[in-house]
Amino acid sequence: MQMLKLWRTFKEGKENFIRNGWLTFATVSILSLSLFIVSLSFLLGMTSQLILQNMREKVSVSVSFNPDVTEEKIFAIQKELMTYKKEIASVEYVSRDAALTQFLAESGNDPTIAQAIKEIGENPLFASLVIRAVKPDDYPLIVSEIQKSTFQNDISRINYEKNKKIFERLDRINKMTGKTGLALGAIFIFVAILITFNTIRITIYSHRQEFEVMRLVGASNIYVRMPFIFEGALYGLVAVLVTIILLYGIAYYIAPFTNGAMAQGNFMDLYLNYFWYLFGGLSLLGVTLGVVSSAIAIRRYLKV
Amino acid sequence: MPDVQPIIRFENVVKTFPGNITVLDNINIVFQPGEFVSLVGASGAGKSTLLKLIYAEEVPTQGEVYFSERPVGKINRKHLPFFRRNIGTVFQDYKLLPQRTAFENVAYALEVDGRSTAEINEEVPEILEIVGLGDKMHKFPKQLSGGEQQRVSLARALIHRPKVIIADEPTGNLDPVSADEIIQLLLEINSFGTTVLLATHNKGIVDKIGKRVVLLSKGQVIHDQNKGKYILS
Repeated sequence: MQMLKLWRTFKEGKENFIRNGWLTFATVSILSLSLFIVSLSFLLGMTSQLILQNMREKVSVSVSFNPDVTEEKIFAIQKELMTYKKEIASVEYVSRDAALTQFLAESGNDPTIAQAIKEIGENPLFASLVIRAVKPDDYPLIVSEIQKSTFQNDISRINYEKNKKIFERLDRINKMTGKTGLALGAIFIFVAILITFNTIRITIYSHRQEFEVMRLVGASNIYVRMPFIFEGALYGLVAVLVTIILLYGIAYYIAPFTNGAMAQGNFMDLYLNYFWYLFGGLSLLGVTLGVVSSAIAIRRYLKV
Repeated sequence: MPDVQPIIRFENVVKTFPGNITVLDNINIVFQPGEFVSLVGASGAGKSTLLKLIYAEEVPTQGEVYFSERPVGKINRKHLPFFRRNIGTVFQDYKLLPQRTAFENVAYALEVDGRSTAEINEEVPEILEIVGLGDKMHKFPKQLSGGEQQRVSLARALIHRPKVIIADEPTGNLDPVSADEIIQLLLEINSFGTTVLLATHNKGIVDKIGKRVVLLSKGQVIHDQNKGKYILS
């Protein structure tokens, strides 16, 4: 008999959900919007975190050698550096010619620049070794070791100082986005709870006369209350589905802009990779919001 | 019927509302099983409050109301819904659930009791047939006339086979013909042994019924007559 009653209250909640028309629409919209904003700010925060992490990993130190240093000497240094496997991930040799082609390519093959270089008569660029660290934190150590090394007199320039500033800036941005993301998320969740609670309260308010009738014909409190709990859960579930679809749309549009910006691929890959976590988390949040709002709201009108 | 246990008994009942408004003033009255009682009096005489005390929508300020010699005021709030299944109620405004059909409105009273779907599908059409709505079961309240809505409400009140039917101004919103039909139904229900308490201020109806009449005025019983007529106070 209890199962029968539970099934009936569920059916009734479902029917309320369908028959309420625009109130259902309004509640689901608000709830979806809240969930959407919360999950989007979470996803974007995660994306920026990942992009920054990726950028840090892409950063390298390049050591330029004086023009009188021979290629053989540079290869020897490269070999020596390669032995520090714990700290150094790779050492790549960029010859003067390669550096020039790269420079021209980076300046967009501007003919005036090519012309200017031709007029100088010789390649103004130096050969260099591009060093990547295993961990970004190791760069200061690597740089200081190179500066103390036997070949320190062959070095023209280490472009670490410039990179150091970028590192520091990245760190700052990273920390700031983390904090603002967290603060914004918290604010949105709070607003979402308030709005959802009020919308569901309005829905229940529109039913308040019916509570009296239900109790008069002998419905127990729990029997009157359960359909609204189920209704709240349904609002949550449908809102989660809407949110998931909206997020897919957003991911579809953002994806091209984030191509290759992070190790995980683009925004869409991130969305798909974390789909089940996202779905689970949202369901938990959405259904809890719906059920708790209903439970609180109905208490107000169910004075027995 | 002096040796029969009364179905409802009021013992020194006083009901006051906030602001020191006395609605019922020392009421002592007994209703026997199977009686048909018309409660009459002007608006504000205390008819509705007296009825509400019976189905425990209100609690007496002083005194006690007994239902089958059980003090209504002492029923645990948790058990109220079960107690109310002993009493069928009909109101001026029908109190139907607007988003349910006639069938569903009546079925609801059985659903809350945990009755099986098979039982519901058998009993609901039967009772709707009795009140003459067999062909309008699947209409929503707004698709029915006032008289028809009141008959749905009456069917719902009857579905639990209650010992008592409480009808508070059931004809207040109805045209004379529909009103007459409702009263005829109440009389018919009464003839099967159900106690009927009818509150009304329609003189014509009371005079036609020709059964016990209780006249309330300013919260007091000032007339109680078997086979009475509506006496203007």
